Amino acid sequence: MSDPPATRSGPGRVLVAVYAVFALAATARATVQIATRFEEAPLAYLLSALAGVVYIVATVGLARGDRASYRVAVASCTVELVGVLLVGGLSVVDPAAFPDDTVWSRFGSGYLYVPLVLPVVGLLWLRHVARIRSSHVTNETS
Amino acid sequence: MVEGLTTTIQLASLAMAAWCLVSVLRNQPMVVPHLVGIGLLWLLLLGQGVVSAVQATNDTRPAETAVFVSYLATVILIPPACAVWGLAERSRWGPAVIAFACLILPVMMVRLEQTWDPTIV
Repeated sequence: MSDPPATRSGPGRVLVAVYAVFALAATARATVQIATRFEEAPLAYLLSALAGVVYIVATVGLARGDRASYRVAVASCTVELVGVLLVGGLSVVDPAAFPDDTVWSRFGSGYLYVPLVLPVVGLLWLRHVARIRSSHVTNETS
Repeated sequence: MVEGLTTTIQLASLAMAAWCLVSVLRNQPMVVPHLVGIGLLWLLLLGQGVVSAVQATNDTRPAETAVFVSYLATVILIPPACAVWGLAERSRWGPAVIAFACLILPVMMVRLEQTWDPTIV
């Protein structure tokens, strides 16, 4: 019997790469925004920074893939999904509250809606890995 | 920035992405020619980086130097980082990582040009 798949192997490898790029993009963007023009749109820039941190946590969680990291990955993907839906919804209803874009504004339209799709794919992938792992455990005990 | 070089990098990157996607569809792992390809792409990027750095120290400074430098550093880091990450995967998903990297590179090059000269949109 081969080892149960890690969250970072197979399609997960591409997922981690995409997450890493988004972690970098969101964090870098927030750093520049906060450092150069924080007073223009403090809420938007702080949300950018939060998004960056969540992406970093998700990347690390997916890349490590042990039991604790698995939970971290699920939690950060969930936060991300809630964040993109909440901020996306608010930015459509009340654009004045978001004078400058964040990664999550208008459901991530500035990033080809990848921020909206990514947490969903992430959670589906984590569920898939969990299922395969539990079937491995059943096979080994029987 | 050298305009012709940017276009060359974008086309080479897209060609590389197409090649890697073919490997994904054929269920092939990463092989040495893939690495050579990404290495050549990286050399082109390094060339652009050196030229831009020299230009930036002269009078043609990019509009937002910090943003430009961070974009340039990211663009230069992406190929080796993805090559290492993809090489660790001995399945079709290795080339898939490279394909992803080569698809975002042309977009990053467009953003890089915009930060160099905001009049280019």
